[in-house]
Amino acid sequence: MGCNGSTLAKIHNLDELILETGFSSSHICRLYDRFHALDKDDKGSLNRSDFQNISELAVNPLGDRIINAFFPDGMDLIDFNSFVRILARFRPVDQNPKKEPNAPEPINSRVNKLKFAFQLYDQDKDGKISKNELLQVLRMMLGVQVTEEQLESITDRTIQEADLDGDNAISFKEFKKSLDKVDIEHKMSIRFLR
Amino acid sequence: MPVRDLLRTSSKLSPFQPRYEHLLLLVCVLGTALPLGVDCNPSAENHQNNGTQKKAFPVLSFDYLHVRLPFEIALWILLASLMKLGFHLIPRLSNIVPESCLLIVVGLLVGGLIKVVGEDPPVLDSKVFFLCLLPPIILDAGYFLPIRAFSENTGTILMFAVIGTLWNSFFMGGMLYAVCQIPGTGLENVGLLPSLLFGSIISAVDPVAVLAVFEEIHINELLHILVFGESLLNDAVTVVLYHLFEEYAGVGSVTFMDVFLGVICFLVVSLGGIFMGILYGLIAAFTSRFTPHTRVIEPLFVFLYSYMAYLSAEVFHLSGIMALIACGVVMRPYVEANISHKSHTTIKYFLKMWSSVSETLIFIFLGVSTVAGPHQWDWTFVGCTLLFCLVSRVLGVIGLTSIINKFRIVKLTTKDQFIIAYGGLRGAIAFSLGFLLDKHHFPMRDMFLTAIITVIFFTVFVQGMTIRPLVELLAVKKKQETKRSINEEIHTQFLDHLLTGIEDVCGHYGHHHWKDKLSRFNKKYIKKCLIAGERSKEPQLIAFYHKMEMKQAIELVESGGIPKIPSAVSTVSMQNIKPKRALPQLSKGKEEEIRNILRSNLQRTRQRLRSYNRHTLMADPYEDAWNQMLIRRQKARQLEKRMTNYLTVPANHPDSPTMMRSRLSSDPQGYSLKLNSGNVPAIVVDPATPQSPESMKLLDESSKPGEEDQGIVMRAKLPESSRTDDNVFPPGEDSPKEQRLIRCLSDPGPPPEEEKDDEYQAFLN
Repeated sequence: MGCNGSTLAKIHNLDELILETGFSSSHICRLYDRFHALDKDDKGSLNRSDFQNISELAVNPLGDRIINAFFPDGMDLIDFNSFVRILARFRPVDQNPKKEPNAPEPINSRVNKLKFAFQLYDQDKDGKISKNELLQVLRMMLGVQVTEEQLESITDRTIQEADLDGDNAISFKEFKKSLDKVDIEHKMSIRFLR
Repeated sequence: MPVRDLLRTSSKLSPFQPRYEHLLLLVCVLGTALPLGVDCNPSAENHQNNGTQKKAFPVLSFDYLHVRLPFEIALWILLASLMKLGFHLIPRLSNIVPESCLLIVVGLLVGGLIKVVGEDPPVLDSKVFFLCLLPPIILDAGYFLPIRAFSENTGTILMFAVIGTLWNSFFMGGMLYAVCQIPGTGLENVGLLPSLLFGSIISAVDPVAVLAVFEEIHINELLHILVFGESLLNDAVTVVLYHLFEEYAGVGSVTFMDVFLGVICFLVVSLGGIFMGILYGLIAAFTSRFTPHTRVIEPLFVFLYSYMAYLSAEVFHLSGIMALIACGVVMRPYVEANISHKSHTTIKYFLKMWSSVSETLIFIFLGVSTVAGPHQWDWTFVGCTLLFCLVSRVLGVIGLTSIINKFRIVKLTTKDQFIIAYGGLRGAIAFSLGFLLDKHHFPMRDMFLTAIITVIFFTVFVQGMTIRPLVELLAVKKKQETKRSINEEIHTQFLDHLLTGIEDVCGHYGHHHWKDKLSRFNKKYIKKCLIAGERSKEPQLIAFYHKMEMKQAIELVESGGIPKIPSAVSTVSMQNIKPKRALPQLSKGKEEEIRNILRSNLQRTRQRLRSYNRHTLMADPYEDAWNQMLIRRQKARQLEKRMTNYLTVPANHPDSPTMMRSRLSSDPQGYSLKLNSGNVPAIVVDPATPQSPESMKLLDESSKPGEEDQGIVMRAKLPESSRTDDNVFPPGEDSPKEQRLIRCLSDPGPPPEEEKDDEYQAFLN
């Protein structure tokens, strides 16, 4: 399990990947190894069951949603490059970004991190977190210890607090605003990916 | 003697004090008017003379020696508290000069006066300091430690505490030794080991001084926890180094074996201290499970177990401070889930009171000891000490930060580093440790003490006074005052789960993974043991939510009639609300109903302290809220006649609690939401509709208040309307808020526990 040239050579479009995600080649190597460790049948891509084999994800209340997040657009297989692209969002934010005026937002910027989190809430992809979606998430997180009425009231209260334009749902802008004081750059970064 | 001088001092020092203090002085002076050096004991004399000659029966006798010790202690504490009072009466002064400086000055003056009189001023006895004055401060800090911030920065804090202190000690000790060896300074007798010992004493950042200064400048949480955490955790290092060098300074040499044993000792001291603290914390948590019937002594358990942890650690020469912190941290979540609200308030107030008094006394005594203590001033030594202190701190912080930043997600900026370096204040612990030195082994002890005091004075005065303007100048981020919203709470938990999942996908066992494992373990096993009853299963989010709803309910109640809702309960301070003493008369039946409803629907508040400001104590919401609610009830009853049928008042106004209660007692089915017209459903109550007979009674007297109240957001229908509620959306952007609140209050919540009865009964009585 070493990071050598042969491993790197197997990855398509390595330079493009590095540029897009901001990972270093050693990171990509490590992720490649992990990718292959997960890929039990050695097919070169991962499907849902490979993810479900990760035992810790099974106990995670959001496990299913996280797995689904790796398979955008309803596809059933994910190749390495997409795998890396998704994980790139959790890279710690660069302290001194070189700001080119027309450069696209880096993939691990605060906005993109929040977008990823938002997508996990917003299952029907209408750009808003409706009361039902929030209710589902809360149910997943709080389990059976809580009564329906409690969940309902929490949901209502949450939406009412965040909802600024009165549409009884949380749009991305409102979501971003409600997390203004939370240190997302810290919270949504994994130290491993440096 | 000391007493009289103290009194004279206090009267001289504080001309701004209100008159009552002069009365107090007068009384005290009269009480101690006679010369105190006299060993007079009239009763003894009488016994002697009985056989020979019968004297008149003493109607009034004077016997001061009998109560001397407690009297003087009480007087010192009184002086300290009056000083504190005095400072805050002079607002300009307390803005410029931190309190610790003023207290030291007071101490200096008191000591000076005592000396002038010819007496020996008392010196800060190390035993008293370590056993009585220091524990309350540390317990207060540990009990209210912000766990999240602390655990996220543990690595950084440990680096600063351990490596930083080691670096400081050795650098200082070594450099001072080198300076002492320079011929001509007259300091050649200062050996290497004494220098190192001195270095270890002076290098530790002091938690008392840091707390005293930092809490006044309201710096952001990260920097606060870094400096403060460092000052707490470096105790273990200091203890080990101190004992190591003190032991071997007599012998004169330290071998490699000793150093190795020292390292082992360090691990034992720190881990042992923590283990001791955890043990006592768990015992305390377990004990609190059985206290529902003896609520009155609950706070006592908290204090006693913590103090025992400290003392037990001191028995084995482990780190008492770390034991105390560990005990407080471990004990807190479980104890708070078990004890009553009043006990919680008691604990909070007592801790703050004791730590405040302790801190004041420490600084005053520091001043007094400066005057009293044997001094030996040596320009070279003292000057070099000061210089090397600053230099080593700066170098240490810069060096460590460059290493730490490689591992941190959010790096420390130069500004942060400057504040951390500047915030390294030395304090009374250094002085006490120096004072403990044995004169025989360390002939240069006086010089050491002088140098220590100089450094303490410099750091507290110069650094303490200038840190505030510097913080403003550098535009360092200040503490955020706002409380967490439920959005933040939910999303933060959501993100925790998400990140744990992503870490698992990456196969990386990081911070989130372990935190998740720990909380799972906690929920599964520990909570069941240590928390009584139903509460053990309550998820944190629910507890938070109920607390929030409770707070808002109380806020709304309190703000009824006032145009704006106060944004946080803490703004409703004791000064703003003057509880009206004249309570309206309620019939027994009504009171019983109210009690039942409250008991079944409201949860008790956990006033979690989110910030470190030791001077801000939140008001007890129950007391004021209850009084206000009762007042409003009466007002509502009075205005019953003057209601209009259709009253839509869009405002930030709460529904009157009486209406809320009425709704709660009536048929809950009627309150289900039916999305009818309009965007937002609302609830309408028909006050005159006969529903259950029980609610009828309440409904009669609870009414919509009149126009002047401006406090009701709802529509009243004419009596002939149907039984169930209509859902029509009244205009007004805030009405949904109230409706939701109302719905929330109708939420049954977790089943009430029997201890609440006692608590509410006691409270209501």
